Amino acid sequence: MLMSFQCLAWPMAGEIAARKETGFGANSIHISARNVAVSFGSVTALDGFTADIPRGIVGLLGPNGAGKSTFIKASLGLLTLDKGTISVGGLDSQTQSLRIRDNVGYMPEHDCLIPSVNAVELVSYLAMISGMVSLDAMQRSHEVLDFVGIGEERYRPIKSYSTGMKQKAKLAQAIVHDPKLLFLDEPTSGMDPQGREELLSLVKKMASSEKTIVVSSHILQDVERICDYAVIIDSGKLVRSGEMKTLLAGEEGVRSLTVRGSVTALARYVRALEQVCQIVDRKDEVGEQVTLLIRGCEDGNKVFRLAAENGVQVRSLHPERLDLEEVFLRAFRGGGRDGH
Amino acid sequence: MGISPIEYHSWKGERTAQNLRLYVIARSVFRHKIRSTGVIILLILGFLLVHTLSLLLIILVSHDRLEASDMSSYLGSGLFATFAMLLAAVVTSDLISEDLANSSFVLYFSRALKVRDYLAGKAAGALLVMSLLCAFPPVLVALVSIATQTGGDYAYGFGVLGKTALVGALVTLFFVPFGLMISSFTKRKSYAAVGTFMSFFGLAVVSGIFYEFDHGWRVISPIDALSILSTWFLEGDVPGYVDKGALVLIVASLIIVPAAVVYFRLTRQVVGK
Repeated sequence: MLMSFQCLAWPMAGEIAARKETGFGANSIHISARNVAVSFGSVTALDGFTADIPRGIVGLLGPNGAGKSTFIKASLGLLTLDKGTISVGGLDSQTQSLRIRDNVGYMPEHDCLIPSVNAVELVSYLAMISGMVSLDAMQRSHEVLDFVGIGEERYRPIKSYSTGMKQKAKLAQAIVHDPKLLFLDEPTSGMDPQGREELLSLVKKMASSEKTIVVSSHILQDVERICDYAVIIDSGKLVRSGEMKTLLAGEEGVRSLTVRGSVTALARYVRALEQVCQIVDRKDEVGEQVTLLIRGCEDGNKVFRLAAENGVQVRSLHPERLDLEEVFLRAFRGGGRDGH
Repeated sequence: MGISPIEYHSWKGERTAQNLRLYVIARSVFRHKIRSTGVIILLILGFLLVHTLSLLLIILVSHDRLEASDMSSYLGSGLFATFAMLLAAVVTSDLISEDLANSSFVLYFSRALKVRDYLAGKAAGALLVMSLLCAFPPVLVALVSIATQTGGDYAYGFGVLGKTALVGALVTLFFVPFGLMISSFTKRKSYAAVGTFMSFFGLAVVSGIFYEFDHGWRVISPIDALSILSTWFLEGDVPGYVDKGALVLIVASLIIVPAAVVYFRLTRQVVGK
């Protein structure tokens, strides 16, 4: 019943044409920054920042003050660039910012909701400012509030909301006009683990509707869980970027080896192993277990034979896998081992 | 998320009301204001003290036609302008200061909304509320006067009605830009309301001090300037000591300068640098 009503109320005619006209066609969404500099007085927020952001869920990573929020605001045309260009969906952020903003949803990091109104009033009001007629705005507001999980609380003033509910209300206002590009600035900031879980799951669900979602965060686990691509910023500069699976894949030819045994046996084994392959890294775990990163031992049989000869147990041997925290730390160390 | 989580559905409709953003903001301001206790009290008091007495006099006292001098003494009394000033201070106080306090500019300007449209929408909402006290009641009084006149000179009466509407529109407009400007200076609406009132009061005090030396200084007082302007519009003349050029310049600058200031302040706020 609801679906059929929606079909009647919201015909598709014109939508595709309108999006093509504004440069936000299905395949055109991406952000391209070239040598962007933004400063606030003596503070340089972006310093020659160059990056390409493809479609999908993209993580914008960096420590506090790295320039993530500045980049988002500059992409929306809310900041004047000192130099460089940002192109969003083929539109220039400085000269065509209104056309960009017409197709973008933005969930700001800081508290920005109007406390005296309730969520329905706020979201429908902002939907109308996005160009929806009153009836559509009200229907769509309820739909997105259902989606983000704000139930009957939607009729309570926003000032009575918890942090998690405020974050959800911010997300609802950002998606009410169904933008093709969504900027989420620290979406899980201040939320408890369950709230974070819910919000990340909402983001994943939205991505299935072919949206490009840029998630700015310093919570690496969040980004690792939901993003397809990551851009790491520090001090206003691009540190590293790439597909998540590429970033998380370890260096080719490097394997992680965990062995267990007595201290003397382990020492003997490590010395023997050094004769046949290169030990890149070593982590001792409570004296009787060692995890080694080894290079040049493509033939695993040598590893097992030496273990048997030296009286230690091989607990695991697999290609190196990183987590985003390690990628992040290596990026900040200036490339990590051998530039990886 | 419940047993059956709700999936995200794209919106299949068209956004066709982009040109109505100004109207949406104005309507929101108007709705919010006419529910505000302070505004309701001022509207009721203003209507009782300023307009009802004139209305009763017109109905009770026999008159040949609507006289410009009657409307001039009614609208140029100072009480009318004083109530308009008080109402403007209350109505405009939170229009920008609240968005500043809540950092909610970003909700507006992350959408395709121009600073100009945002300000025009806020001002239009405030002007609508102001018109409930400053524009419609004087026109109503003039219409009642025409309807109850004993003579047949309606043309003159409608001429006065037109001038009355003009004065009402001017008083409606006069205080709003200044109130918006003060509202853009602070995050507290109480400061904005008191600031607006005290600014006009301060000008009136300055005018009162210098009036002793030169009566021409009277035009510095916003309330006196509006009273003199009302008399000028309705009766065609101003007191001899008033320089008409200075009067127009002061009234125009109290409208245009604050409007420009608030526009540029907001542009800086929104663009961020």
